[in-house]
Amino acid sequence: MLDELRQHLARLQKPAGLVEGPAVLPLGIPAVDGVLGGGLACGAVHEIAAVSEAHLPAATGFALGLAALASGEKHLLWIAEDMALLESGAPYGAGLEAFGLAPRRLLSVSVAHRHDLMWAMEEALRCRAVAVAIGEVRHGALDAVAVRRLSLAASETGALAFLLRAQPAHDASTAATRWSVEAAVSNRKTFGHPFEFGAPRFAAHLTRNRRGPSGSWILEWRDTDERFILAAHAEPVAAPLRHRSHQKVA
Amino acid sequence: MLSLWLPRFATDRIRRLRDVAAPLVIAGRRGNADVLTAIDEAAERLGLSTGLALAQARAMHPALDVVPEDAGADSELLETIADWCLRYTPLVACDAPDGLLLDISGCAHLYGGERELVADFGRRLAQTGFAYRIAIAGTIGAAWAAAHDGNPDAYAAGEERKILAPLPLAALRLPPETVASLGRVGLKRIGDIIDRPRAPLTARFGTHLLRQLDRALGVEHEPLTPRLPVAPYVAEKRFHEPIAREEDVLGTVEKLAARLATALERRGDGARRIELTLFRTDGALRRIAAGTARPLRDPADMRALFAERLHAMADEIDPGFGFDMARLSVLVAEPAPPEQIGIGAAEDAGELVRLVDRLSARLGAQRVRRAVAQDSHIPEVACVSLPAQMTGTDDGWAAFNRHRTDAGLAPRPLRLLARPEPIEAVAEVPDGPPLRFKWRRALHDIVAAEGPERIEGAWWQEENETSATGNRARDYFRVEDKSGHRFWLFRAGLYRDLTRADVVQGARATPAWFVHGMFG
Repeated sequence: MLDELRQHLARLQKPAGLVEGPAVLPLGIPAVDGVLGGGLACGAVHEIAAVSEAHLPAATGFALGLAALASGEKHLLWIAEDMALLESGAPYGAGLEAFGLAPRRLLSVSVAHRHDLMWAMEEALRCRAVAVAIGEVRHGALDAVAVRRLSLAASETGALAFLLRAQPAHDASTAATRWSVEAAVSNRKTFGHPFEFGAPRFAAHLTRNRRGPSGSWILEWRDTDERFILAAHAEPVAAPLRHRSHQKVA
Repeated sequence: MLSLWLPRFATDRIRRLRDVAAPLVIAGRRGNADVLTAIDEAAERLGLSTGLALAQARAMHPALDVVPEDAGADSELLETIADWCLRYTPLVACDAPDGLLLDISGCAHLYGGERELVADFGRRLAQTGFAYRIAIAGTIGAAWAAAHDGNPDAYAAGEERKILAPLPLAALRLPPETVASLGRVGLKRIGDIIDRPRAPLTARFGTHLLRQLDRALGVEHEPLTPRLPVAPYVAEKRFHEPIAREEDVLGTVEKLAARLATALERRGDGARRIELTLFRTDGALRRIAAGTARPLRDPADMRALFAERLHAMADEIDPGFGFDMARLSVLVAEPAPPEQIGIGAAEDAGELVRLVDRLSARLGAQRVRRAVAQDSHIPEVACVSLPAQMTGTDDGWAAFNRHRTDAGLAPRPLRLLARPEPIEAVAEVPDGPPLRFKWRRALHDIVAAEGPERIEGAWWQEENETSATGNRARDYFRVEDKSGHRFWLFRAGLYRDLTRADVVQGARATPAWFVHGMFG
């Protein structure tokens, strides 16, 4: 009820087809969209990092969920360095299908060098048939100039650029938002044997946001209707990043 | 037909590599003896000849410079020269060990006539330091005979008979035994057999003799087998002043592509594979090939394709003193629908194809991939990624979706490891999911598990002993650990097989567990 009212309020405050700012991709969760200023800014670069290397699959899931929301009929490019594919595995078509992303709309590109990756991302972002370009840049600092170029390329077409990292970065960046994602315990229906799985959950921490405050949420990906729902506020805003598995979900 | 003979090929090759002061001979093993296989002019003046035993030659002239035969290097160099000859015609065949055959019909006018072409050819060959003989005739046989045994300049159209008559029979490319036995009955020149009754000759010397004669005279057709497949569409351009700058090369590509586009459009074709050949002034050749995702005709697109290729190959191109000729050939053409000016989805698809082509040209076609579903239960076969330029419209996902809903397939991981990685797992015996496992030095306590989903290899496939997982049945589990990480694990092999093996070996074997993928 409260959510509905909030949504209603959000709609009243920010009418559809926002004139002043650039287009946004709403996540459909008022709490998150409010902090983001209506939704994830389109035509911009977003950094999505795993809190540690073990959480990379969760960060992948979060990025792919956002990509599924954004791509519509357009295409998705996954650009990764050889090492990343070798270490963490390549995107698996059959899994994407179940996740709500049509594999025929995914192009995967492997590159040998970081500069090739940046070039391929820039090319992809300038292509009108591409909605999202995900670049997997495991380790190391990013070239600020290259990221700035990505932002420019993205702003021309309104495409989304995700930089997927295996570890949170602390370098300065021109990205519009910076997320760090960790896996969260799913909402199991029963304990004991046999176990039953709930939908995948991600603890998403918005650590940097050019258009508003930061925040932390536990989001659940519903592949049946292909959207995120809010499972819980993970932490008070701006609290240190720490996993709290004891905090059970209402 | 043009026949090129390099009479001093082997010795000239050595002379190009280093300074040779003494008479040079090449020696190789024939049967049980070391004999001279090639000699240079100075050695010939000393009275040496090929076929002479090396020991004898050394005894006659101790100062000889002897080099061992190297057939590999010879044929490599001949291939290089054949490549270089592509500037005259795309139809070049190697005439081993020391000659080339060129089909110059339809090409000679580009040089202002056959004589001018031969003059140009000779001038360039002389610069490279090869002794050469070139002859042109209507047939391969006549050209070869004239180059090797006759007077190369005596060519006139339709006079093969007159040229051939005075030449020795060896000029017909006959085996030495046939020539020798013909010689024994007094037949030494081609003129001697040209008008003889054919039946007795065939009866005595076989059909080969008269076939070679007929081929040389043009009675029977002898096809030339070019070294390289001939491209269906070719456009080329010569430059009076060599070009070296990238923009000039790309400009040329666009001009040539415009010419190809007209030809392609007339036949309703589009290019799937294009090759740009750049001829450097010093004779070196640069071949740059580019593939496309769909039949291509637009010159601007072709230019963009080569812009990426040139960028990717920047170091290998090395224009040196410049390129004096460029050729653009369509190696593979496919029927293409007429260009359509579309809006919306069709236009977007075109944009994507262009992106795929650009990425493939720069990074390599193998690096730009698209997932394709296949009819299999084995996870790594069921969904594979193929180069995006090769995947057609049917990618199998419609069938996969039907199967997924019909069979109620368990969820698949978001990321699949390149190959399953072994883990140390503690499992509930006999067929339960693991309770905890260790992978990449991290311990995972499992709190939830789903499965097993049994996936077996096809029964007609042999058990593969070389791979760790083999072709054994796998029981897949989806598990979640304490902190929410989700994995796709499997146990290779069934417990009942393991116990049977245990009985045979008398040892306690533990089942092998693997991690195959991660869920989001």
